[in-house]
Amino acid sequence: MRQATARTSIDNYFEDFEPGEVIAHARGKTVTEMDNVLLTNMVMNTADGHFNEHRMQQQSRGIAGFDTRIVYGGISFSMVIGLAAQDTGEQVLEERGMDKIRLRAPVHHGDTLYAFTEVLEKTDSNRSDAGIVRFRHYGINQHDKLVYEGERTVLMRRRTIQTTSS
Amino acid sequence: MKDDVVVASLRARAKPWTRGNRFEDFAVGRAFRHHWGRTLTAADNVLFTTLTLHYNPLYTNLDYARANGFADLVVCPLLLFNTVFGMSVEDLSEGGGPFLGVDDLAYHRPVLVGETVYAESEVVARRETGSRPGFGIVTWHTRGTDADGAPVLDYKRTNLVRKRT
Repeated sequence: MRQATARTSIDNYFEDFEPGEVIAHARGKTVTEMDNVLLTNMVMNTADGHFNEHRMQQQSRGIAGFDTRIVYGGISFSMVIGLAAQDTGEQVLEERGMDKIRLRAPVHHGDTLYAFTEVLEKTDSNRSDAGIVRFRHYGINQHDKLVYEGERTVLMRRRTIQTTSS
Repeated sequence: MKDDVVVASLRARAKPWTRGNRFEDFAVGRAFRHHWGRTLTAADNVLFTTLTLHYNPLYTNLDYARANGFADLVVCPLLLFNTVFGMSVEDLSEGGGPFLGVDDLAYHRPVLVGETVYAESEVVARRETGSRPGFGIVTWHTRGTDADGAPVLDYKRTNLVRKRT
């Protein structure tokens, strides 16, 4: 416990976010075959379009982008949220929900993802040490093409405990 | 027998054991109890959290999780979502068609490492689309439950789904 304190950032608490601000997150990640196949298989997603290269090449039916394995959308958007997570998730006590998630374009092995976040709303919670923040996260690829957008609502730690119920 | 003869014989004699459903199978109101269930282990959680760069120490630092009142590591909620989703795929979306989106996803409580989750779904909407011949659009309501059957998350998912014809 003594060691666990003060090991997170000092600038990403509830008080630090303003509705309307847009954040470009620091890192990108190239989604590898290892990421997609390992995590798709680990969560037992049985759709072999994510892990059978031969079938995708044989049965593409001419749909653009679907002639090779597709990164499972749940992994690609978890990666986008992950790229935003140190900034918007390190002080999260509870993830509350997600909404309006849209997968705009397929992601393939070797594509690189970057994340942006818009702060939509901040509200008090029933806890004096935390408030609720609603974000909209965006994921783009190396060609500046939008691949993901979606909202996420979290219970986030306050830097200072609220003493009055305002 | 020569190997190529064996393969030719397999091709000729084998009856396909297919998996997955198609658009026509998803009557509104149809319910599915998805297969298997899954115990979410510390290995799953740390691998998922680190590969997706989800840097909240509740998921990777037991000392920190305990200091925040949890008896064990918290399962990264996106791992919980993806596992429940994964177990639903054979029944709902393995028949083919892109995953379009998720709405109204709610986490009902934090899930801890070592817990077992199950998945079930119901068809809530089905419609035709002009955007892609041979496909329709289906929306399901999926629930993830714990070993006692209490919900841990639920959401609505929409896919393009391949038609039989």
